[in-house]
Amino acid sequence: MYTSITSRRSFIKKMATLSAITAAATMFPGILFADEQERGLPTNGNLDWKKAPCRFCGVGCGVLVGIEDGKAVAVKGDPKSSVNKGLCCVKGYHSVMAMYGTDRLTKPLVKKNGTYVETSMKEALDLIASKMKETIDAHGKDAVSIYGSGQWTIPDGYVASKLFKGCIGTNNVEANARLCMASAVTGFMTSFGIDEPMGCYDDIDHADVFFLWGNNMAEMHPVLFSRILDQRLKRGVKIIDFATRTTRTSMAADKSILFRPQTDLAVANAICYEIINNGWVNQSFVEKHCNFNKGLTNMGYGLEDNYSFTDKPEKISFEDYKNFLEDYTPEKVEKISGVSAKDIKYMASFYGDPNKKVMSVWCMGMNQHSRGTWINNLVYNIHLLTGKISTPGNSPFSLTGQPSACGTVREVGTLTHKLPHGVVMNEEHRKFAAEIWDVPVENIPSKPTYHTVEMFRALDRGDIRFMWIQVTNPMVTMPKLKRYRDATKKEGRFIVVSDIYPTPTTDIADVILPSAMWIEREGMYGNSERRTQYFEQMVEPPGEAMSDTWQLVEVAKRLGFEKQFYYNEETHIEEIYNEYRRHHDNKKHNMAPLEVLKEESGVLWPYVDGKSTKWRFNAKYDPACSNGEDFHFYGKPDGKAVIWQRPYEPAAEEPDDEYPFWLNTGRVVEHWHTGSMTRRIPVLHKAMPHAYVELNPGDAERLQIKTGDNVLLTTRRGKITLPASVNERGVPTPNQVFVPFFDENMLINDITLDSFCPISKEPDYKKCAVKVEKA
Amino acid sequence: MKKRLGIISLFVILFAAFIAVWNYSYYEGLEEAYIPIENNNPTPMIPSETGVFERSDLGLEYANMPIDENHQRSLDGYYDNRAYHGAPPSIPHPVKEERSMGGKTCLQCHENGGFTEKFNAYAPVTPHPEMVNCRQCHVPLKTQSLFKGTNFPELEAPAVGVNNALIGSPPVIPHQIQMRENCLSCHAGPSAPKEIRVTHPERINCRQCHVLNNKEIRDIGNFSRQHSYE
Repeated sequence: MYTSITSRRSFIKKMATLSAITAAATMFPGILFADEQERGLPTNGNLDWKKAPCRFCGVGCGVLVGIEDGKAVAVKGDPKSSVNKGLCCVKGYHSVMAMYGTDRLTKPLVKKNGTYVETSMKEALDLIASKMKETIDAHGKDAVSIYGSGQWTIPDGYVASKLFKGCIGTNNVEANARLCMASAVTGFMTSFGIDEPMGCYDDIDHADVFFLWGNNMAEMHPVLFSRILDQRLKRGVKIIDFATRTTRTSMAADKSILFRPQTDLAVANAICYEIINNGWVNQSFVEKHCNFNKGLTNMGYGLEDNYSFTDKPEKISFEDYKNFLEDYTPEKVEKISGVSAKDIKYMASFYGDPNKKVMSVWCMGMNQHSRGTWINNLVYNIHLLTGKISTPGNSPFSLTGQPSACGTVREVGTLTHKLPHGVVMNEEHRKFAAEIWDVPVENIPSKPTYHTVEMFRALDRGDIRFMWIQVTNPMVTMPKLKRYRDATKKEGRFIVVSDIYPTPTTDIADVILPSAMWIEREGMYGNSERRTQYFEQMVEPPGEAMSDTWQLVEVAKRLGFEKQFYYNEETHIEEIYNEYRRHHDNKKHNMAPLEVLKEESGVLWPYVDGKSTKWRFNAKYDPACSNGEDFHFYGKPDGKAVIWQRPYEPAAEEPDDEYPFWLNTGRVVEHWHTGSMTRRIPVLHKAMPHAYVELNPGDAERLQIKTGDNVLLTTRRGKITLPASVNERGVPTPNQVFVPFFDENMLINDITLDSFCPISKEPDYKKCAVKVEKA
Repeated sequence: MKKRLGIISLFVILFAAFIAVWNYSYYEGLEEAYIPIENNNPTPMIPSETGVFERSDLGLEYANMPIDENHQRSLDGYYDNRAYHGAPPSIPHPVKEERSMGGKTCLQCHENGGFTEKFNAYAPVTPHPEMVNCRQCHVPLKTQSLFKGTNFPELEAPAVGVNNALIGSPPVIPHQIQMRENCLSCHAGPSAPKEIRVTHPERINCRQCHVLNNKEIRDIGNFSRQHSYE
């Protein structure tokens, strides 16, 4: 007779339950059993663990998602992943809950007479395509635009670029990564001629000293910080926190050094001065592998519409550079930065010690900087002068904040000037892309159009009429937000927003498309260390939610680009990835085949001869090195990296009598970016329910403000009231306040300034002048 | 004289040798060690055993410890503090130092446990005291309100007393053990939830009798007998 396994198993289990309880109760009187335990057998038998990169930050932890009955129910760290080795942070462990908020968008919504009406996906996509055609006919190709993000998967960004640059023929492609790591890109491009870090996270296991440049790693990159802490436990490494705010990171560090906002430029130069002055320069390395350049200064801050700037690099000699540094002796810089000459010398001594391997780590502190490109250059200078680069443990390392800021925005190139391989300004690069895209080369315009801030300004002016926003929330994140929010509401603008929850950005949309997120679809992300990671679809998206990739493909087909968007719905991710790989088919950037990605917990590009490249530009590890030397900075035509002469210049808007404080913004460990996902995770929202303004205790005392008091912040852009936080999560330096930006109910960006680095066009969210009053 | 010369030359040789070795090691130190690219570790099929014996020296003490009936934790309370079973627990008490990553402050109570007057409870013992950035995963809750509701399908937590196959046979381990390999931290001592407190903590080698029954990491296929006589 046939007996089903389940019933037999449950029978045995029930028997076991009863007998165990009885036995236990008589044998071990100390143990009490609750009644519930007689009921309910564990149902975890069906739990299936599948690997994915984490949905949140750019660290790119490997996670294993527990799937039961088609739902994601649990998360643990992937012990096989070399990124996190089995550990996650509080966001990662609860990440799957981000898919199950009760207000998940499941149907397309179209705004009709001021209210949103549910429609079918087909109807919504038809409307989008017809609006795009209409706009192009009436206002030209450059009136339509797409604004994506570093949370775009690689296929999302790739089809967006192909559709807009290749097929429609406009360079109006941007992504929120412009607000986040554009300065890192221009830093790499100007210093090395090729983007992304030379080292990898393994550097953490080899370095002796860690410099955190304005990076609150304990909260923002906790898993990597835990790796450093682990090394400190095992090897006694040193952590030096160099910041404008005392944070958890400062408390955990061996030494915390505070500086005045913007003066990191001066301190970095002073460190170089010390290195040269003390004879710590690695002469042979510098002679063989470095050039010295200077660029234009007094570049301005991009505050006016249509601002443009092009740097003019000029070669200088080592002597010129040395003379320039005379202005940056530790004693002189002490006056500018508030960092004691002793501390500057202390920092320089680690960089200068030939027996210490040094890793410099940074993220938004250096990138969201009105001289972001410069400060990136200056930190590379330190590593180049001492030759501490591209070897295990010697590593200037730029971290990212989004899961695919590198993978999609930087590598696929979803920025106005970029192509997957190269830039639109270069004819060869255009030809190469056009061939793979199967479009006439004339389609791709040779001039970049608008970077992000300018794109929203163009929307305001009416130069752009149609904008499609995917996976990002600019109505929380744009600086000087009010201007750009008002822009979207102007007559004759059409905004499409693809997202998973209602946000302040969907609030201004004409069409809202429900997206399938993360493991509800198939895709790849690329993390900060050049690691490409694949994830399969594990659960069904809710309602009519559709991946951003397929939304774009559907619209592309409606616009008449069936030939270029030939992909099959079942296999399109694989087809797109294989097509994308062709753009990077060379030793400097080769991407791993999909089969390898499916098997491994991520692979570092360049992937050559079946191997990840852990340290680029180092002939021992990097097969693309071809000059016969130990190092080859092949991004530059002469194979040499550039040491840049970059001075200290003040920020766009510094405190004055009327607005006497610095306003700094940032994040907290509990929330990710604008909180549209993490605030719907109960444990994270309960842990950090709202934003606040952090004050220095001295300032708070003077203004008679206590924790919890309402504080009115006023800048030249507007006012906002927030509860005060004194001596809690962080302590800003005197005359500075800090506000996290995740809270859509307390939009700090309404009052921030839209100044940006003239080279990278990345806004400085860390510095503007503010008045602080007890409300 | 000869003897003295011999001693002097011996020291000279030793000194020279010291200088040479010191010099050599100094320059070796300067040179970058070549670190070969390691092959990725294959997916573990057998769950990690690190930390299994971590608190075993306390086994006997745990066994002899009288049970404080009035201050026992319950399994319900244990699960209430987690978003799903296996999730990092939130911190159910106020924390003094917002700016601290945790570390020593947390470990004071949570490394070895013990009774805390203030909370009238025994502090639970962490199974991973070597991870000191505690608040990267454990957060205190400041409100009970929600931003928006959730439909997160909460996994049913494993129950007690249903995990053995035969009467009196050792129960299998019904939960994930990653980062919780050290059994005694939760299953022994006064802070262990009463339902899961082990009666024989002195036995130490827990996993000689208790095995895992959940799918770990990668399913490499079903190994069943194919041939049949029917």
